[in-house]
Parts: sequence; C-alpha cells; structure tokens
Amino acid sequence: MDRKIVIPGQLLSDKEKMAGPGTYVKDGKVYSLLYGIANVKNKVSVVPFSGKYYPSRKDFIIGTVIDVTPSNWIMETGSPYDGLLHVSEYPKRVDSSEMRKCMSIGDCVIVRIKDVSKSMKVELTMREPGSRVLTKGRIIDVVPAKVPRVIGHSGSMVSILKKESNCDVFVGKNGRIWINGKSDDMDHLAAAIEMIERESHISGLTDKIGRFLRNEPEEVAESDADELIEEERSTLPAKEDNVTEETCRKVDALLDDEVDEA
Amino acid sequence: MSNEAVSRLKKDFIFNLALKGQREDGRAFDEMRDIKLETNVIDKAEGSAKVYYGDTQVIVGIKLQVGTPFPDSADKGVIITSMELNPIASPDFEAGPPRPKAIEMARVVDRGIRESGAIDLNKLCITEGEEVWMVFIDVHVLNDSGNLLDAASLGAIAALMTATIPAEREGRGEDTKMPIREMPVSLTFVNVGGEYFIDASNNEESICDTKVTIVSNQDGSICAMQKSGAGSLSEEKFLKAVEKSCEIGAKIREEYLLNI
Amino acid sequence: MSDKPEKFIDENGIRLDGRRVDEIRPMTVEMGVLTRADGSCYLEWGNNKVLAAVYGPRELHPRRLQRPGEALVRYRYNMAAFSVEDRIRPGPSRRSTEISKVSGEAFEPVVMKQFYPSAVIDVFAEVLQADAGTRTAAINAATLALVDAGIPMKGLVAACAVGKVDGQLVLDLNKPEDNYGDADLPIAMTEDGDITLLQMDGNLTVEEVNKGIEMVREGCEQIFAIQKAALLERFGTAEEEEVLEDAELQAELMSEEEEVSEAAEEEDAVEESEDLEAAETEDPEDVEVEEAEAMFEEDVTEFEVNEEEAEEEAAEVNEEDIASEPEGEESTEEEGEKYEQ
Repeated sequence: MDRKIVIPGQLLSDKEKMAGPGTYVKDGKVYSLLYGIANVKNKVSVVPFSGKYYPSRKDFIIGTVIDVTPSNWIMETGSPYDGLLHVSEYPKRVDSSEMRKCMSIGDCVIVRIKDVSKSMKVELTMREPGSRVLTKGRIIDVVPAKVPRVIGHSGSMVSILKKESNCDVFVGKNGRIWINGKSDDMDHLAAAIEMIERESHISGLTDKIGRFLRNEPEEVAESDADELIEEERSTLPAKEDNVTEETCRKVDALLDDEVDEA
Repeated sequence: MSNEAVSRLKKDFIFNLALKGQREDGRAFDEMRDIKLETNVIDKAEGSAKVYYGDTQVIVGIKLQVGTPFPDSADKGVIITSMELNPIASPDFEAGPPRPKAIEMARVVDRGIRESGAIDLNKLCITEGEEVWMVFIDVHVLNDSGNLLDAASLGAIAALMTATIPAEREGRGEDTKMPIREMPVSLTFVNVGGEYFIDASNNEESICDTKVTIVSNQDGSICAMQKSGAGSLSEEKFLKAVEKSCEIGAKIREEYLLNI
Repeated sequence: MSDKPEKFIDENGIRLDGRRVDEIRPMTVEMGVLTRADGSCYLEWGNNKVLAAVYGPRELHPRRLQRPGEALVRYRYNMAAFSVEDRIRPGPSRRSTEISKVSGEAFEPVVMKQFYPSAVIDVFAEVLQADAGTRTAAINAATLALVDAGIPMKGLVAACAVGKVDGQLVLDLNKPEDNYGDADLPIAMTEDGDITLLQMDGNLTVEEVNKGIEMVREGCEQIFAIQKAALLERFGTAEEEEVLEDAELQAELMSEEEEVSEAAEEEDAVEESEDLEAAETEDPEDVEVEEAEAMFEEDVTEFEVNEEEAEEEAAEVNEEDIASEPEGEESTEEEGEKYEQ
C-alpha cells in the first residue's frame, strides 16, 4: 500500500480513471482536494486530517435537539446542516402537543440518517434498533476524521473499550461518543478515548488502550463488575457475542500481517 | 448558532462534578488555568500584551494621542477602553457593532484601571484645559475558551505598564514611561450549582447563570465589582469570593505584573 | 511620519531594507493556533502580523444570504485598532469592506463550494500589526487556515504585490515603498497561475504590468513553497505513524464498503447482513462500517462538468475587479489608504 501526506492541488496520478474520493480531475490528471493522506489501491483516494462531519445516508449519529416544531424535532448534527426528525419517525405514535415530553431542547439522541437530499435537507429517523434518547452518561467529542480509529479494525477498539471499562459505548459517525457507566469508569474511559485521539500510534494501539484501561482500577472493576453488568443489561439487553470479537481478532491479525509485508 | 443549545448531558455532567467538588478539567474550584503573559508583542502600539488563560487568548494594545480634556477634569488625561468580541474568537460571536456583553466587559476592564488609579492621569496633562494625552486601551479577543474579562484586565494593566508616551512623535518633548501607580487584578467567579468557580472555561460559562467580577488593588482594597447574569448571589458566598479575590489577585500580581 | 527617502534603490540594486528588487520579505507561519476555530494560521511577513481563522462550513443566517447550490465564502478582513501608527476606530471601514469582498472572491475559484449547498465558510483575517501588504499577507494566512479546517480545495492561493519606485519594479513593497511609490499592484493567484485577486493604483505602462505579473508569479512560487513546508511539517515525523494508521482505518472502511457492494450486489443480501448485525448488538455503530465519504465520489463527477463554467466565472470576476477599480477613487478612500496598504 502506498500512502503519503498530500495537500490540496497536489498531483496524484496521470490516469484519470484513478480518481477516487477526495480527489478531482483536471486535464486528464488527478489532484488532491484535501489535506490528508493519499492511499493508492485500485484508485487513489484522500482521507482528510480534519473537517466537519458530512451527513450521509444510513449513518448513525448523535444529535442534539435545538428546536421543536409542530411536526418535527430539529437537531444539531455536528455538520453544517441541521437534521429534521419528523414526528412519524419517532418509535411510538406521538401527538403534536406531546412532542416536547418525548424530547425537548438540549436532549441528546442516537438517530439514524434516513435520507439526505441534494439541497442537503437531512432527514432523521428513530425507527431503528439502538436509536434512543440519552438520559444518562456523557458525550465526548472527537474529530469526525478520528471516528474510524475509535471504532478500530472491524470494531475491535470499541469492543476493547466496552469490555475493559465496564462502560457502555456508542460511537456516532459525527464524532460524538456516548459513554455510560460508573463515574470513575467513565473518567477512565474518557481518558482512554482522548488517548486514542491524541496518542501517536506505534502499531497495536488497541492493546495499549486495553492495558491502559485494565491498569489501575483492576480491583475496583472486579468488585463492581457484577453490579455493573446488571446495570448494563437493564439498559442494553443485547450484547455482542464472542463470535464478533473472534472475527475482529482474526481480521486484526490479517491486517497486521499486511502491514508487516508492506 | 447551534452551539448555544448546550446538551443536557454536558450540563448535567458539569453540575454533577460540581456537587462532588470537581471540575471538568480536574482543577479545584479556586484554581486558575496556566497563565502566560507576553509583553511588547506589537511594535506599532505604544504598549502591548498578549495573555493566555489556558486556551483563551487576548491581545491588548495601547495607543496614545493628543486630545482635549473633558471640561470637568481639565488637568487630567483621558482613558478610552474598547473591547470587541471578534467572530474569529468563537463560533458564537458575530461580526457587527459591540453588543451589550462586549460593552459590559469593556466597561469593567475600564473601571478596574480607572478606579484603581492605575494611571496617574494628572501626569498625562500637557497644557491644562487644552491638551492632554488620550490613552486608548484596545482589547482584541483572539480565542474564547472562557474568562475573557480577567484575561483582558490582566492584559490591559500589563500593556499599560510597558507603554511609552510618544511625546517625540507628537512633538511634545521627550518620550516618557506611562505613569503607573497601581496594579489592579480582576477575578471572576461563576456560580455553577451553588459553587463558585474561578477562571471558568467556556463550557462552565455556558451553563452558569451568574457571575461576579471583583477587582482588587495591591493593598487588598477593592476598586471595582460587577455582578452579571440572570441569577443571584448569596451574601455569604459573595463575601467569601471578595476575600478570595484579594488572595489570588495578590498571587497573580506577584507572579506576572511585578516583574514587568 | 518620516519623510520620503531620496532613493529607494541603491546603485547595486539593493533596497532600503536590504532586499533585491525581486525578493520577498521573510515569512513565517504557524498552523492551528486557535482552539475554537475549525482552522487557523498565524503569519508574520516582514513586520506584518496577521491571524486567520476559518469557521465552517456551517449554517448560514440569515437565510436570504444562502445560495441554493453552493456554499458562500464569507471573508472578513479586520484591522486591530493598535495595528497601525495612528489608532484606527475598531469595526469595518469602506477600505476593509472592499478588501474583504475581493479577498473572499480570491478564494471562490478554488474552494469546492458545491459540496456544501446553502452553508457558509467564514474566513476571518485579523491584522494585528500592519506594515504594507496586509491584504496579501492575510490571503496567504487564510489559505492555510482553510486547508487546516479540512475544506476541500482545488489548490492553494498565494498573494504578493509588485510596485514601482525610482522608476523600477519591486516585489513585495515595504512601508516607505508603499507610501511614496508610484504604483502598487497586489495580486493573488492559484498554483496554475490563474489570477484570483487583482487591484492596482498608481501608474504603470503596459510593459510594466506584464513584467510585474511575472515578478508576482515568482514571488508566489516562493510563498507556495513556504505554505507547503508548513503543511507537511504540521504532521511531521512524530505523528506520521498515527496519521498513516488513521488512513489505513479509513481505507479499510472504504474498501469494506466496496467489497460489500461488489460481493453482494443484490440489495437483499446487504439488508440481511445488516439485520444480523443489528440483532447481535444494540449498538450497531461498531459493526456498521459503510459508506465513508461517498460524497466526494459523487461530487467529483459533478465538478468535472462544472469545471469550465467555474473557470469562466473566475475570469468574469477578475474583469469586474479591473473595471470597477477606477470608480473606487473617492475622497473617503484616501483616508483609509493613508493607514496602510
């Protein structure tokens, strides 16, 4: 794999058909549109270092209610565009006059983007498993470009975060991460997430984060573990099973090999 | 801007921490962020200072001009303080003429300098009733991470302490140092869930309903105060804050101003 | 104010500040200096000190300013009250309003506005210390702030002025040359050499204009080099591993997407796998890896179609600027120009 830091306007390829995301074509040549990392595979694409979240259909995000109209909740999405959640997209039937009782200004909500129009009207839905109003826990903001990093290879990082912190974690594509658990555990987890965002990576960050999370509160975690699991169950009936984690590990191993070869 | 809708979780988080005696960034209630002060950063100004309170950045420039005194103070120089909340400093600021919040802050900075007698205004008189020096204190806000007022006040006095009266340029004799005789220090307390924080971050400010600014002098006297915001202050907490402001003010003065 | 020097260039072709006629003043830049802004850059050029910040793309209010098919690039050039010899009143003047307008337009041809319909990209340029050439300094800083904010752009923009003193053309005017020179020609251009800002006052022959533009082009080359060095330095050796890892993860997301769509063309299969994921966990995000940045792909094709149009537009803008220049000679303008160029 060929990767390098590029800046807008930098020539990436002489072959027009190599143009991938984050690039543009001029006079048959491919140039970068962004400041970020260029990857050359079948095509050349550029992943930006920074930038706002760009709403995309089917993304799960965390929105904040900023207004309630007679038929819509308007949500701030961390992007240039506010999202509209129509009353019919709420999981239950809600009368117009009752809308504020379900969700009012300041509420954080896990929603899914139902559709994005050409003029960037962002329609949201809560008729999805996992979608809900967040009444407990904390929100941590990360740069949207770092979201894949927090998720990790096939979700390996999120799995570690959840498992080792005894907290519930949800990573919104818009860079908002919701965590919930014991206060101390959340502090620890928040520090770990900050570490993921900040720390330079020398292969095996997933392990490093795991170790970081296991470190000091080992005993505390053990004594509180049962209680916590109970708590988690009540809020989150379904949990990922071992197969997923097993798969993650395999994929990781595979990817590591690839890196070594490169 | 949408930022004004602070998420409830964030609000709750800061409140709950306050109940446990903690703050978002791990500071104690009466703990300042790191202060950094650089002076003489703008050669074009007669005096200048750049101040960092954590990530908050302001730059203060002093300009002097010859002008006519006010009739009721014919032998005194004039102080004019301006502060604009530039849109560069926060997503919540908009371009346009200063709004009440900016004007209030400018006036509190001004009051601290004026009422403490920081500048010996009599020495700024050139010809009584005709010509005096007009001192312009301009606060340029660059990054608002909270507590702009205290940062601006520290910047103002530091910039004044480095200022020169440009007499030569204006054909009024030899350049002299700005006549400084007091070093007021401003300290703002914000009320979060009944607890008073100093040097609040922008997150803390966004959820507080009341703040009080107390400006203290070297001898521990108070020269200016301002309560701001929709809430109220309890007498007991307020009096404690007054005491604290002198104590912390003295530390800041010693560390950052006395060696200019 | 000091008096006009007798000579601006000595017999060896050296200017008062020791530069050759085709040499720019030393320039230093620092990226990401403000925490609240989405992108920022501090730049010193000679004795100029400017700070540029970018906010956005973000929602634009009031609504009537919104452009349905693209983002508005809103540029605000502002001078600090203490940035010049004689204090200036804070707030916009006729001079700063004009500079803001043409400077914003200097970025319109390169910023991919069509990605962000109805939004605004705010660029704020604050002149903290002025010493001739602040508008060009501000543009050089603003380019880097835009890049830092992750705004998609066709390329960088650099700006530099050329002027005339002692009957000779000089690059990047200093204060005395600016005050007492015979002409001032600030220009901004893209890396392809397309002119995106052009203003002029004074007196130049057609040949001098020709030569002046060539000198600016060479000056801009040097500025592009400084800008690029700053950008490449920002994520230098220490963090390289990290950014490469980021890229790998992003690429993984994208390739998985491709694989999904290639391997399972039928919608049903995709739906099924999604349902399965949803059943496994109530937090679908950690397995939900799809559709990262599909937007750029879509928009690039759109852009290709628009390419010529965009270039025509750019040319029009420049023509307008030139045409409107003589009209700018009003009494109020002189007041502004006195402070600095």
